[in-house]
Amino acid sequence: MNSGDGSMAKNLLTGAVGVILFLVLWQVIGAYRLAGMGWPTLTSVLDVLATPSRFGTFQRAVTATVRSVLLGYVAGFVMGFGFALLGHLWPRLKVGTDQTTAVIHAIPAIALAPLLIVFFGLAATPIAICALNVFFLVYNATSSGLLSVNNTHGDLFTAYGANRYDRFRWLELPAALPSIAAGLKLAVPAALIGTILGEWFGAPQGVGLLMVAAMQNFQIPMLWSAVLLSVAISLSMMALTSLIEHYVSHRFG
Amino acid sequence: MEPEQGVTAEPIDANPLRWLYSIFARFVARFWGVIIILGAWQAWVLISGYNAIVLPPPLSVLHQVATNLGLFAFAGLQTLAVAIIGTVIGMLLGSVAAILAWYSRLFSGLLTPLALIFTAVPAVALVPVIARLLGYDIRTVIAIVAVISFFPSFVFTGSGLRALPPGSADLFRVNGASTWMQLRYLALPAAVPHWMVALRLGAASAVLSAIIAEFAMGTSGLGSVFSEARDSFDMTRALGASLVATIISVIGFLLAISAERIVRDRWD
Amino acid sequence: MSVASIQPTAPEPIIGTAGIPAINLDRVGKNFRLDARREVKAVSDVSMNVGKGAFVAILGPSGCGKSTILRMIASLDEPTKGTLSVLGTTPADCAANHRMGIAFQDHALLPWLTIFDNVALPYRLAHLKADPGRVAQLIDLVGLAGFEKARPKQLSGGMRQRAAIARALLLNPDVLLLDEPFGALDAVTRRQMNVELQRIWSEQRTTTLLVTHSVDEAVFLADRVIVMSGRPGHIIREVAIPFERPRHPDVMRTVEFHHLVNELTEALHPTEGTGAP
Ligand SMILES: Nc1ncnc2c1ncn2[C@@H]1O[C@H](COP(=O)(O)OP(=O)(O)OP(=O)(O)O)[C@@H](O)[C@H]1O
Ligand SMILES: [Mg+2]
Repeated sequence: MNSGDGSMAKNLLTGAVGVILFLVLWQVIGAYRLAGMGWPTLTSVLDVLATPSRFGTFQRAVTATVRSVLLGYVAGFVMGFGFALLGHLWPRLKVGTDQTTAVIHAIPAIALAPLLIVFFGLAATPIAICALNVFFLVYNATSSGLLSVNNTHGDLFTAYGANRYDRFRWLELPAALPSIAAGLKLAVPAALIGTILGEWFGAPQGVGLLMVAAMQNFQIPMLWSAVLLSVAISLSMMALTSLIEHYVSHRFG
Repeated sequence: MEPEQGVTAEPIDANPLRWLYSIFARFVARFWGVIIILGAWQAWVLISGYNAIVLPPPLSVLHQVATNLGLFAFAGLQTLAVAIIGTVIGMLLGSVAAILAWYSRLFSGLLTPLALIFTAVPAVALVPVIARLLGYDIRTVIAIVAVISFFPSFVFTGSGLRALPPGSADLFRVNGASTWMQLRYLALPAAVPHWMVALRLGAASAVLSAIIAEFAMGTSGLGSVFSEARDSFDMTRALGASLVATIISVIGFLLAISAERIVRDRWD
Repeated sequence: MSVASIQPTAPEPIIGTAGIPAINLDRVGKNFRLDARREVKAVSDVSMNVGKGAFVAILGPSGCGKSTILRMIASLDEPTKGTLSVLGTTPADCAANHRMGIAFQDHALLPWLTIFDNVALPYRLAHLKADPGRVAQLIDLVGLAGFEKARPKQLSGGMRQRAAIARALLLNPDVLLLDEPFGALDAVTRRQMNVELQRIWSEQRTTTLLVTHSVDEAVFLADRVIVMSGRPGHIIREVAIPFERPRHPDVMRTVEFHHLVNELTEALHPTEGTGAP
């Protein structure tokens, strides 16, 4: 394996070439209709995104979606983390928390949507589905992280007479942080999926709604613009969580 | 080693009541969360007096499934089949891409950042896009499932191909093994356990994403049963479809887990 | 000087400053269950006393149950047979009272804490007010002054091991348990660490049980060396080490030292004894 500064720069370069090739391919397929009418050129999509009269629409949609994603993300994190703690600190409950989480996750989100609409209303349903998706990933990351304690560290705490709380506070929790941070990163696309799905069920605003409207009106470039916006939201959150993950795994790993 | 002393099989309790109770206790320990949720739901329906169009109680959902078993079984099998076909296609493509990336440094350099970007794409956002490209039918459903299982397969197969036993790559190179032989006898066997992890991850979401796509397409499977029932305000049937979908996705996940365990036992 | 070799049939007379045994094992046995059908007899019928202020080393072939004995004393494993007491109570009570210090072959420093915080960890677990002066003094004692703010990752293997020793000594433990603490080190560093541990120990005189594979290390550090047989481990030999304390490294060059080392090596590998001079 060769590594080092030279190959790093080379990797970045090839990667950039890969992305550019992809964009060119996108343009060519669109221009020559290689994939039919459903594939717009890159330039037509960018045109739509750069139309000043649409800025207001885009801004409102993105704001609504980002708000739902963030609220759902935080709520899902709190629930997943809390539920994992419950199972961890009271081991008798662990089988139950594992099973409950697995069952909740196995219920298709579209199936839950009608229930969630009844309970929370149309506007909050994207938040709720987002939270459920995040809940599952954070629960798993937290509970497996809390069990990832190195055996010798565990022995050390036993021999030094650590009580249950100290063991949790000074050993299990820090040891779980890298796993939790990785889970938070994985949860970003899941959070967006949940939010967009929730918006399809009739939220008053959001990128998902934009997609549905564009699809029904055969506005192909508009549809792809909405998809690009959702990818942009997801990518920027991924970048942020990757930074956190990098820091945490360096500091606590 | 000592001869074992006094290990007896777990005694089957003579008292059937106590035996039933122990089964019941084990069930509660496992599913208390689900029981609480279902109980709260049933109680809420009873107290708030919602009619069945808005929120049917769980018991009538069970009744619905039991009386329309044929319909649900057919739609469920359709969904399961589509999920399996899509997963197989996606994993094959992902593995082929991973092998290409293993073989060619250039290809790997070109593809890796793109793959990273694509993992950030919310898969459901692709449903309307692919539907416009392939048509509003079962092909789109298969394509969505394939896209979703492509990335885990690409990423995990890729890391598996590189996870060789220490020193073995040098041994092969010293003996002048061809690239094909390295792939066949070294890299591919090393990748199998990783590949099974990708299968488990893919299987977990395959049924769920198939249902989402079916729901959006409205032409086949449990997703369309759900969307039709919803359109005609038959909430009981819609939730029945959800129940069957849940069961099927659990089955798919359990199948993948046991496949992974079997392979891992063989491999280590 | 004479070498006292005693047959291990009865509990030993206590060697140490005071008359109360700090660690007492009475016909202790330990079986590990492998699965429903098989179990491993790791230790069988081990009786021994470690007097207050004594330094005892255990030698034995790999897998003979040395770590298991140490782990039982540290309350990390339960004996299946016999009784075991530490400072007159059960190991679990002794651990709960924070009276033990322990170090393993794996340094077991927490990667997210600085060296200072790692060494100070026992204060936290014992709910005692941290005494920064004492922590700094111990870090200095093991030769890590200046590395208080470093993280374990930034230290060499030997330095990490020294931090682990400092942590084990922090609370002035009544019992110090060391399981091959220098096993992962190179020969030169190991020798150096032995000399340092000897110096520190001669100042503090903490009751110590050391598990090791190195006969030299055992003879240089201990007042008494216990040799165990292969699995199931039991005591086959005990040898008192008569050198004065504090011991100078030059002791290792003396004829008596070599005699003791030879005798113990012979006890460890009896089959090799036939052709030896
Ligand atoms: N947790 C365990 N489960 C099953 N068997 C165990 C366990 N711990 C130890 N053993 C067995 O008990 C025996 C003694 O192990 P122990 O670790 O005490 O040996 P040791 O003398 O410390 O060896 P070494 O010098 O290699 O460290 C071994 O045969 C080992 O396989
Ligand atoms: Mg050992």
